[in-house]
Order: sequence, then structure tokens, then C-alpha cells
Amino acid sequence: MKVKVVTNILKANTRIAEENRRTLHERGITTINLMSSPGAGKTTLLARTIRDRGARIRFGVIEGDIQGTHDAEVIAALDVPVIQINTAGGCHLDANMVQSVLPELPLESIGLLVIENVGNLVCPAEFDLGEDAKVMLLSITEGDDKPLKYPRMFRECEVLLVNKVDLAPHLDVSLEKIRADARGLNPALQVFEVSARTGQGLEAWYRWLEKKCAGSRGRG
Amino acid sequence: MHELSIALSVLDIVRSAAAESGLASVTVVRLRIGRASGVQPDSLRFAFDCAKVGTPAEGAALEIDETSVGGHCDVCDRDFTNPEPYVLACPLCGGTSFRVTTGDELHVLDLEGEP
Repeated sequence: MKVKVVTNILKANTRIAEENRRTLHERGITTINLMSSPGAGKTTLLARTIRDRGARIRFGVIEGDIQGTHDAEVIAALDVPVIQINTAGGCHLDANMVQSVLPELPLESIGLLVIENVGNLVCPAEFDLGEDAKVMLLSITEGDDKPLKYPRMFRECEVLLVNKVDLAPHLDVSLEKIRADARGLNPALQVFEVSARTGQGLEAWYRWLEKKCAGSRGRG
Repeated sequence: MHELSIALSVLDIVRSAAAESGLASVTVVRLRIGRASGVQPDSLRFAFDCAKVGTPAEGAALEIDETSVGGHCDVCDRDFTNPEPYVLACPLCGGTSFRVTTGDELHVLDLEGEP
């Protein structure tokens, strides 16, 4: 006997992601899913963004890591509500993990929720968490071959932050190649070349972020 | 990657579909997997064979229908099939304004079994 099924294997995740999106929108919250390789500078960028724009945007943060609370401690020191998820070996966050921690955040006082995903250039791109935009970081120390080696994440994102550009004089890396290859995969991709350490180029990122939050309570 | 969690999701879907249609044992599970879905069929087969033990699909064979990546080019206004998982330019005219329409599929299509 043959039985027709035709069910999306990721349906359970997609359904929960839609619930998250509804919950967050009902409260006027804009959500960003921040992804990169380990060590690209997600936490440094996020901490700098909070320091520079915390007066205008009411941040909330979910930190995803395989283990430990280092990143949550960095964010908590900035007086921003933060929850740490430990995936205990899991290579990505999924919508269910995010849903389970939402009640622990003071959603009524958050305008922009940033979900810092597990450092990984592969799996996080495939799981909708309920975000409004996927943003990725690529640090130039990783090399200019990465867009063509890890195309999916570059294709899924709305914004690419090319980080650590202050190190460019010391590296044999082509910022033009990164930009051209990433845009080839995703012609609509917004590319900002930044240094989260020196602050170079961050104004354009902040302008994009403030525009993204314009409809939410995050802008004050 | 995460083929084991995909295999567990497949088995969840198979378990509820088999229960709904009164199948006591499942003999074939057919999936459609796009070449740009990020899932490796060989890894998924291995994960499925490990995870199916003790489920109604314990004796099931996994059949995978791989779909190629295709889209429509706005430059030459034609539909195309791309040989690689990721499209960098229209394979017909080299244009870079295009929409990818197939290749992301990750579906359980149907199953066969005995009541």
C-alpha cells in the first residue's frame, strides 16, 4: 500500500519560526539573526553596536553557543537583557530553542532582538528562527574564497558585514573579490566593510539597523 | 552537517503518516531533496539507517529523488537548469539577474508499507 505524504521535512521548524515571528511582531520587536564563522567578531560587533546605539535602540540579545556563557556575560555587562542558549554540541540554533527562551526575556521593553547564532558558516543558514532579517559577518582573515565555498549563507542574508578591514594592509586578501562573489550569489545583498575594533565603517551599518527598526518600538 | 536531525524529522513524519493510514510496517520511504538544500543524500541514508531501528520504518528502504537547481533568467527571459548547486549567473546567457525557483526542496513524498 502506498501513502501520499508530501510534507516539508523542516515544516516543524518553519511552523515554530512563524509562531516566534508573530509573538515578536505583536510586541513591536524587530529581530535579527546574526551569523558567521567562529571568531569572525559577532560578539565584538554586537557589543560595539550596543555601546554606540544603546541610547537610541532598546536591545535584547539571545546568545547561541555550543557551551559556556562568555558571550552572554559580555552583553550583560552592557546592561542589556540577554539569555544564553547552549546547544550542547548542536551546530545551529533552531526555532524551538528560540521559542523556549522568549518567555525569559522582558519582551515589553525590547525593540530590537539580536539572536547571535552558533559560530558556523553552514548549518545556521538553513533554519528560520522567526527573524526579520539574516545578517552575516565575514572577517577578512578568513580569506576571500569564502563566498564561493559557503554560498548558502551569503545567498540567504540581507546584509554582509565584512569585518576586520583594519587588518587589510597585513593580509593578501581582496575586498573586491569578497564583494563581487557575494553579490554574484545574492545581487540584493547590502555589503558594509567595517572594523568592530576601530569603528571604521560602522555608521552605514547603524543607519541600516535604525531603518530596519523604524517600524518597531526599538527607535526612541 | 545535521543529517541525523533531518533523519529524525523524516522518521517523525513517517511515524504519524503510517499511524494515520494504518500501516504497521513501512517498506519504502521516498524523499525529494533539492541539490541546493544542503543535505547530502549519502549522509542522510546512513543517518536514516541508524535512526530507523525500533520504529515502524525499521525495514524501510530510503529512496531519494534529487531535484536539480533551476530558475528563470530576467535577462534572456528563459527558464534554466543549473549544473551546480549554486547559481552565480544564468547558464544560458551569463546574465546575473535571475530567480532560483527549484533546488531547495526537502520533502517526504510518500511511503509504502503493510497494514
